[in-house]
Amino acid sequence: MLKKELTAKVLDTALANGADFAEIFVENKYNSNIRLFDNATQQCMAGKDYGAGIRVFYGSTAIYAYTNDLSEQSLLQAAQAVAKAQSSKEKKIVHDLTKKEFDNKHKVEIYPTDVSKEEKINFMRRINEAAREEGEQISQVDVTLLEKKQNILIANSEGLWAEDERNYIRAVAVVIAGDGKERQTSSSGPGALSGFEFIKSMDPVKLGKETAKSALLMLNAKYAPKGQFPVIIDNGFGGVIFHEASGHGLEATSLARNASIFLGKLNQKVASEKVTAIDDGTLLNKWGSTNIDDEGMTTRKNVLIENGILKSYLIDRLGAIKMNLQPTGSGRRQSYQFAPTSRMSNTFIDNGKDDFEDMIASVDYGIYAKKMGGGSVLPGTGDFNFAVAEGYLIQNGKITEPVRGATLIGNGAGILHKISMVSDNLELAEGMCGSQSGSVPTCVGQPAIKVDEIIVGGRG
Amino acid sequence: MYNKEIEKLLSLAKEKVDDVEIYLQHGKSFSVRIRQQKVDSFNYADSKGIGIRIMKDGKVGYSYTEEFSDDAFNTVLQEAVDGSIHVENTDPVIMDNYPDIDEKPVIYSPELNKVTVDQKIELAKELEQKAYDKDKRVFNVPYASYSDGSRYIRIINSKGLDKEYKTNYCMAPVMVLAAEGEQKKSGMGYYAGRCFNDISTDEVATKAVHKAINLLNSVSPKSGEYPVILSNEMVTALMQTFSGIFSAKNVQEGKSLLKSKIGQQIANQCVTIYDDALRSDGLSSSPFDDEGYPTQKTVLIENGVLRSFLHNTVTAAKDKVESTGNAGRSIKSSLTVSKSNMIIDAQDNDQEKMKKYGDKVIEIISLQGLHSGANPISGDFSLSAEGFIYENGVRTSSLSDFTLSGNFVEMLQNVAMIGNDFLMSHTSCGAPSLLIDKLIISSK
Repeated sequence: MLKKELTAKVLDTALANGADFAEIFVENKYNSNIRLFDNATQQCMAGKDYGAGIRVFYGSTAIYAYTNDLSEQSLLQAAQAVAKAQSSKEKKIVHDLTKKEFDNKHKVEIYPTDVSKEEKINFMRRINEAAREEGEQISQVDVTLLEKKQNILIANSEGLWAEDERNYIRAVAVVIAGDGKERQTSSSGPGALSGFEFIKSMDPVKLGKETAKSALLMLNAKYAPKGQFPVIIDNGFGGVIFHEASGHGLEATSLARNASIFLGKLNQKVASEKVTAIDDGTLLNKWGSTNIDDEGMTTRKNVLIENGILKSYLIDRLGAIKMNLQPTGSGRRQSYQFAPTSRMSNTFIDNGKDDFEDMIASVDYGIYAKKMGGGSVLPGTGDFNFAVAEGYLIQNGKITEPVRGATLIGNGAGILHKISMVSDNLELAEGMCGSQSGSVPTCVGQPAIKVDEIIVGGRG
Repeated sequence: MYNKEIEKLLSLAKEKVDDVEIYLQHGKSFSVRIRQQKVDSFNYADSKGIGIRIMKDGKVGYSYTEEFSDDAFNTVLQEAVDGSIHVENTDPVIMDNYPDIDEKPVIYSPELNKVTVDQKIELAKELEQKAYDKDKRVFNVPYASYSDGSRYIRIINSKGLDKEYKTNYCMAPVMVLAAEGEQKKSGMGYYAGRCFNDISTDEVATKAVHKAINLLNSVSPKSGEYPVILSNEMVTALMQTFSGIFSAKNVQEGKSLLKSKIGQQIANQCVTIYDDALRSDGLSSSPFDDEGYPTQKTVLIENGVLRSFLHNTVTAAKDKVESTGNAGRSIKSSLTVSKSNMIIDAQDNDQEKMKKYGDKVIEIISLQGLHSGANPISGDFSLSAEGFIYENGVRTSSLSDFTLSGNFVEMLQNVAMIGNDFLMSHTSCGAPSLLIDKLIISSK
């Protein structure tokens, strides 16, 4: 993507005013998205993202510049801009850039660019048709197929030269059900760090049917009750609770600013002993995985919480300097337009031993949250929220009627202690996570869990 | 700017497509973040890109590139043509040489270019220091920053249109954390505009600090239905979230709950909402939209009656009306409809009058989870909230750990008073506080 000689020259220029560390991230990304809507293909869009970001550190001060002009002149100009932002006496130079050798674990069998648009559109049509077959109340189906092939080069003043290729694919279906008066929606978005074989392994009919059924169910459901109740949150996207209540607070980004309720809590009990939580960027072909992070470090499995005890944070290179801890392979960014920072990859609560039926049976009156939507958190206070997309009432130990989505709120410091049961049906689900370094693919996940009490933002 | 590149693309396009529109964007930005009176980070950004929309054999195709080279331009045209072949949408695609508006809004401040990096650092430092100094309970300022940027847009089409504009902005946000006992609360304040000299660090810091400390020692309200004052900032946040209901594209796609409601009373008659791209105080103002069509002021709801949707030329042709100059796109996205500055004007009700509306009135000054807890298609929202309760007009407690739920259109019907405290937000929504007759509170 860039010649070694020029890369070294750019790094040397970035170091010229005495910076402690210099890094360049070069990206060439092919993006494609096809959209089927109103029973017709509306758009086939493809394009190229292209650019480089140069970063230097002076102590714990970070300076970042990006450009999408990769000519020598423009890169040296950007390097000079970051260099002169500060100065120090000690001057470093780059000695040798050594190629980082690693296996590409996340194999691609079928490159999506080798698959005809007809085949892709045909797959999308099957989702559309299956969804519409669920009934006349299905008023709209919106299917998108996204592909991304990201080629990156990371080189730094410590001699790192790492290149990687990441192939992403994702199908997103949004179904709207309406009865003339009201509308409800449901969506599904399975994705992978994989080739088109991921799409081939999926059943489009099942995806369409299930998404449509959920929208219909919610159209005909009443509003969720208001108040504080026990909640059983099912597997897969249910893991958004850990992502918001805890995950963001374990990122160095928040910790180094003293804006996390988990600061100073390493090796302390922060959750019920039923909770073991893991961030694993190595899972084969998973949406949140990568071979190396966006700072060139090999990704790994980080046990965050073990039986309720806080074991690790998520730390990027700059966070490591600020916190005097080791990086965890968690430096991520959306693109060359963002300086990397500590982020989650595939983050989940691990399997427990409780039986799902026992969990439901243990609730007199509460909510069973089958499908979840997104959420957010203020890491500084720990106050989080996330949305139930498909819910049911639990009455006298039995799941009774469906109830419409509502937001669940709580505080990360308290809620992890209230997880009293953890089932054994662990599943991951794909999403996009937005934070300081942009929007990155992540998985959330968990088996079904029971939270003893949480505020349900219902209207009923 | 970029004459050479545009000529090249146009000449390539002549051979390959029937019609072409080139959307060129070049943006630059700068930001500095301060932590404990030292520079924590600097960011310099410089990025450009070209997005094209083509017509070939009656079909539309899109592609974009951030690489400017002959190879990249060849590829971008080929991708657009390849994509167009599979498109089944038969919406009319209209490209034309649209006229200019008479009086262009002032959206570029040359003064902003004269501000030095040292002045910017100083300002951010001052912001952080003032936030700490305002109140002893402020234990952390996780975020104190200054940023500015400029954006150059040029649109050219094969019907002879060739227009450009440049716009810039500056911003100074601060976030504080305050604690008392076990409770921690956060507060945000910001300046967003085009005038460096207008930034009052004192005002911004005061706003953030007051927000946080006023919420300390909060209790949970009792679940139920209450009259609710939405602060001006929260009104703009909800308007931004639900602005898509006024998009003709969403209406035509069955994604808006305002479908076939033109001419109907959909809001309380005190409510008038309009979109205005011509205001100089709006960060989304522009002399033309993303098709090069002249921009304007469009009344959406007038005294509670739905008058118009927002249109680009494609949605307008389908509805047999004129475009309202609200075409939106970026280099990487296809043509859509975007609001510009969405406004509810102030009326003469002061806060005191609103607080006395009932025995118990809840004021909301913070809402979280707008991207997940609010559904623009159904209009439903259920959001984590914070605020105050007034009993007989007197503030008796600050409130947290509760949710606010309702439906956006129902809420517009239930507007009981419109405040006198107009605020223009960084998301280009402008509104005063609103008193809503009833919304639902859920708590412990």
